[in-house]
Amino acid sequence: MIKISNLTKEYGDVKVVDSLSLEVKKGNIFGFLGPNGAGKTTTIKMIVGLAQRSSGEISINGKELESLGSREKIGYMPEDPYFYEQLTAVELLQYMAELFKNRDKITKLAHIEEILELVGLKDVAKKKVGAFSKGMKQRLGLAQAIINNPDYLFLDEPLDGLDPIGRLEFKDIFLKLKKRGKTIFFNSHVLSDVEEICDEIGIINNGILVYAGPVKPFCQNEPLEKRFVEIINEQISKSASQQISKEEA
Amino acid sequence: MKNILTIAKNTFRETIRDRILYGILGFAILFLLSTVFFGSISLGEDTKVIKDLGLAGIYIFSLIIAVFLGSQLIHKELEKRTIYIILSKPVSTAQFILGKYLGLLSSLVINIAFMAIIYLAVVKFVGNQIDYLALWAFLLNILELSVFVALTILFSSFTAPLAGTIYAILILYIGHSLELLRKAAEKSGDLVKYLVEALYYLFPNLEKFNIRNFIVYGTPPTVAQIIYPALYSVLLTLILLWLANLCLKKRDL
Repeated sequence: MIKISNLTKEYGDVKVVDSLSLEVKKGNIFGFLGPNGAGKTTTIKMIVGLAQRSSGEISINGKELESLGSREKIGYMPEDPYFYEQLTAVELLQYMAELFKNRDKITKLAHIEEILELVGLKDVAKKKVGAFSKGMKQRLGLAQAIINNPDYLFLDEPLDGLDPIGRLEFKDIFLKLKKRGKTIFFNSHVLSDVEEICDEIGIINNGILVYAGPVKPFCQNEPLEKRFVEIINEQISKSASQQISKEEA
Repeated sequence: MKNILTIAKNTFRETIRDRILYGILGFAILFLLSTVFFGSISLGEDTKVIKDLGLAGIYIFSLIIAVFLGSQLIHKELEKRTIYIILSKPVSTAQFILGKYLGLLSSLVINIAFMAIIYLAVVKFVGNQIDYLALWAFLLNILELSVFVALTILFSSFTAPLAGTIYAILILYIGHSLELLRKAAEKSGDLVKYLVEALYYLFPNLEKFNIRNFIVYGTPPTVAQIIYPALYSVLLTLILLWLANLCLKKRDL
């Protein structure tokens, strides 16, 4: 289980993420939603150790996510992933695999080819990454995130830049990974896809978590997109009225 | 340790495939071959001129390669965000910095070795003997480059490539002028003397790595001329890489 308690990130006086607390059950697909600049990417970066948290705790299966060892079992795909353009897809995945303790097992060509086949890049395995399209880079981003067979996957806008077929394939991969017991935490703007595959969602706006829980009870038989807009608008008007009463006081 | 070597291997592969490198190496080869011509017009001093120009040429071209590749090394990772996929794995910033440093330095060593082979062949061709003493000059060249690479890595961890390059070249220039400045300041007033003295201890004294004149005149270097610069290089490199690690650690990616 992923447990985040009172996670806060401040840049000077501005709180980009404000006392965020949530739990993601093992084996679930969790969609992390919010408008642009809401704090989604910062949250993921704090979880995987790329950004330093101002305060708060993050643990996986009860273990604090501080040590390097805890990263052995997580996978991360950044938004719009970039790679070393001089390397081929196989070379890149071998490089990534060599950074883990179980390198002897995961650097094997058979394992790398299996991953490339899963993400649909087997045919371009020996092509330099510099020549890859945006969609292919997205696929390679997912491949490098799952190269170590992680139990927990953190994906930042994984469906961005993919055509409808690519999105469908990615959703299939997520469901396959879920069947293997993996926990997936991902950010997305594509709400219809989130509604389709997520067990639970979290909605963040201006750094504040406004909802966390199962998808169906939240939607109340309405499309996720409609409910999402409603809850964001509610939060905006709530913040505005709080601001007014503060100023009056 | 394994992670450091993995990052070093990839950095080496990346730098060795950089087209800029081959352009600079091409010019270096032309320069080294042209020393035969400059030697031939020097009235009986041809071997000395070839050695002088050749050793200086290898030093300057290796510095140019270090500037071009080193100044972008960390910055490119940050700008293109390739660092994200590395530091989200079980890799510390210290391992990352050390791996980058070792990768670039090994690439420079290969380049110096390549230029050195051409230099030795040219000297053998003109002077009929292998200039074994020059190997000491190449070793000190590598030790100086170690400091310079660490310096460029430090600058590229917190500033833009152009600014980093300018700072590194300035420090290089000052580092080679310290002895001269110190001598000149001896005749000045106390304030200037103290200022120059402060500069002397603040900046790395890179002239310690220059034994090229001894080699040109066929004088073998003393043990102290090799050991002290080696220790100095290791110490400075470690301090600079430690600072680079601090800068990168403090940075929000």
